[in-house]
Amino acid sequence: MNLHLRPIFSALRRNNTGAVLVAVQIAIALAVLVNAVYVVKQRVDKIGRPTGIDTPNLFAVASAGFTDRFNYEASVREDLAYLRGLDGVVDATASNSVPLSGGGSSVQLQVKPPPARATGNGVNYFEIDEHGLNTLGLKLVAGRDFRQDEILPVVTKANITDFVPQILVTRKVADRLFPNENALGRTVYTVLGQPATIIGIVDLMQGSWSNSPTLGEVFLKPRRPYTFGGPLYYLARAKPGQLATMMRQAEEHLSTSNPDRVIHWTRSLERFKQRSYLADRNMGIYLVTVIGLLLAITSIGIFGLTTFNVSTRTKQIGTRRAVGATRFNILCYFMVENWLITTTGVVTGCLLALGVGYWLSTHFELPRLDLYFLIGGVLVLWTLGQFAAMQPARRAARVSPAIATRTV
Amino acid sequence: MLGYYFRLATLSFRRNPGLTGLMVLAIALGIAVCIVTLTIYKATSGNPIWWKNDRLYAVTLDSWDPNVPADEEHPQLPPPQMTYKDATYVFASDIPQRKVLMYKAAGVVTGGMAVRKPTPTLARVTTADFFAMFEVPFAFGGGWSAVADQGPEPVIVLSKEENEKLFGGANSVGKTIRWDDREFRIVGVLDEWQPQPKYYDLNNGNFDTPEDVYVPWGWGTALEKHSAGNTNCWKPEPLSTFQDMLNSDCVWISLWVELPTAAARERMQSFIDSYWSAQRKAGRFARPQNNRLTTVSQYLVDQEVVSRDNRMLVALAFAFLSVCLFNTGGLLLAKFLNNAPHVGVRRALGASRRHVYMQHLVEVGALASAGALLGLALGALGLWGVRVLSASVFEPQQQGGYQSLAHVDVTSIVSALALTVITAFVAGSYPAWRVGRVPPASYLKSQ
Repeated sequence: MNLHLRPIFSALRRNNTGAVLVAVQIAIALAVLVNAVYVVKQRVDKIGRPTGIDTPNLFAVASAGFTDRFNYEASVREDLAYLRGLDGVVDATASNSVPLSGGGSSVQLQVKPPPARATGNGVNYFEIDEHGLNTLGLKLVAGRDFRQDEILPVVTKANITDFVPQILVTRKVADRLFPNENALGRTVYTVLGQPATIIGIVDLMQGSWSNSPTLGEVFLKPRRPYTFGGPLYYLARAKPGQLATMMRQAEEHLSTSNPDRVIHWTRSLERFKQRSYLADRNMGIYLVTVIGLLLAITSIGIFGLTTFNVSTRTKQIGTRRAVGATRFNILCYFMVENWLITTTGVVTGCLLALGVGYWLSTHFELPRLDLYFLIGGVLVLWTLGQFAAMQPARRAARVSPAIATRTV
Repeated sequence: MLGYYFRLATLSFRRNPGLTGLMVLAIALGIAVCIVTLTIYKATSGNPIWWKNDRLYAVTLDSWDPNVPADEEHPQLPPPQMTYKDATYVFASDIPQRKVLMYKAAGVVTGGMAVRKPTPTLARVTTADFFAMFEVPFAFGGGWSAVADQGPEPVIVLSKEENEKLFGGANSVGKTIRWDDREFRIVGVLDEWQPQPKYYDLNNGNFDTPEDVYVPWGWGTALEKHSAGNTNCWKPEPLSTFQDMLNSDCVWISLWVELPTAAARERMQSFIDSYWSAQRKAGRFARPQNNRLTTVSQYLVDQEVVSRDNRMLVALAFAFLSVCLFNTGGLLLAKFLNNAPHVGVRRALGASRRHVYMQHLVEVGALASAGALLGLALGALGLWGVRVLSASVFEPQQQGGYQSLAHVDVTSIVSALALTVITAFVAGSYPAWRVGRVPPASYLKSQ
């Protein structure tokens, strides 16, 4: 099949403004499309990172004593007994902060005692008890859980900097502090020189701050949580499907069970997670919307311009049909012409896309653009371009050969 | 003539409603995307106290670890807050016109009209100048005096929202409530005040709503309230008691000063520098000298208030607008050249090229106006969408996000309209000019 490229080229060269405009649109659209999809994928990946805990079934209750009569130990004991006693609750624990909530505490850990200095950031920690692992749904890959007799009471103002003799760490912490070694049984120190033995290693736990560069570096302390004057948090794991009921029951009971304390709120971990990733999710939605609008606008442009091309050349089409071109030939002619314009735009767009990708990676610290996205973008725009031109091309093919002989 | 051109434009639109509709839609979408993005960008990067930018300064000293910078990602910056010792010493200087020491603390409030559960609140523990320095508006009453900080006097100021919760919004000045199980007398109730970003405290949520209550500075130490904001420590030192915390090198206090003249600023700087040298001789401040008086605008930049995401979005919005521009230009070109026979007749009847150009510019203008109106409507819809997307389901305290930002204000509308007009004329001038250059004779011949 002869594609008749020469006549197409000469036609384009003579009247090329419209073609240039379409090509430029396609170039910009490709650059934006490819990079935007890439950013969206990164955000989706980021949100989809495993948290290590049973997020769908966990909820937190913030409890704060506020009168002088408030008895911390008794309150924690009663409340945990109540929560654990609920039919729909698998287990519950008390903690100083809620994972994924954006609030928490960290201290530095070092492998040699002072005067050696600690390196790196502080490690996010949670003060829990022997039910903590089961409540959070954490997986132990080495060692053991805390025992009930190892859970220390809450620190007071008198011994506020006391540490604990045993800790659990995540694999990430173990790998950083003891690279290529078995961290189980090893001792770590605080900056004050207090030693703690690693009695167990947990597979994965994200921690408090989802945007932290040390996400996943967490250690667990066996003690009742110290709250710095704020609330302490009960973490409870509901049985599948019972989260809402359990949250309601827990809130109703705990709000009134102790007159010396107030329940600030009861929230699910899922909502905390959503809040942590709100910016990323919104960015994703925004980008997808803009991509959609962009593709719509580009197809409108191609459609409009091809329609115009057809309408100015009815005489030419008619003449060609009169001298023997079939409807299919005419259709091909316009599709090929459109394809040439699209390809010019796509080629320019590739260069532009790579340039924008490079700029994004240097200014916004994103990894370099994956070529698969570029290829995907090219295919999308080619398909889009051809579909947009299909209807006008078909209308062109229907031009009657009799037009050629008319002067009006 | 303009009226006539306008009528010609409407006739032309009616002849080709589909194409016209597409063009208006293209312009409208481009403008809407730009409105949404630019509003968010402006709202999140603006300086809410820009008129005082040359007078307000955040004071920071680098009291951090000699081996490690306070912020690994920005090693040239000192820690954003100060230690208790340093902050109170510098605060004692009488060089600033106004000065504020403050931090955030948690507490529980009981009181108000109905017998209600005690409610958790966040309090700003601050000295008296806070309200005047940051020009915080009062609905009822006022703040307290410097004497009240020292007492400390049991006085308290409520935010508008807290007053609504406790007293239904009525004038509650003179009434008492209990904060942290202690009686406080209400001396003032704030009016609507939601500076975005929360420039005076960027340590936790940049766009959080301001605190619920404000208490005099002395209560922090009297009640031994730990900070509920950020506390960062680097030194191995005793931290068992609250007094230890006050003596420590942990940073948890913000210090702001108002220095109306350049001379005052220099004197303040030398005051801080001599304090720094004296302390260094005594063995503290092992890091290089980095005593800063930072303006609000610089502080916002240092603390990276505008997320990188937003800047990327602005670039995206302009790329999108340019696609719409090219799109409209192409469609206009098609439409005008399609109209060439009519133009040929007009030229033959005496219209000059300039007349033709003006006629088509009027058409472009009409399209631009329609696009602008539709764009504003779509932009408003987009901003509503942003508000819905960013709506935090949590307590009002954390409902900052972009909630209160996403409303269209006059400046945005004006810039959007200006943008539409310029865009449309840029897109439309070439086609309008081009159609004027069509030789009339060729179109007259075949009639």
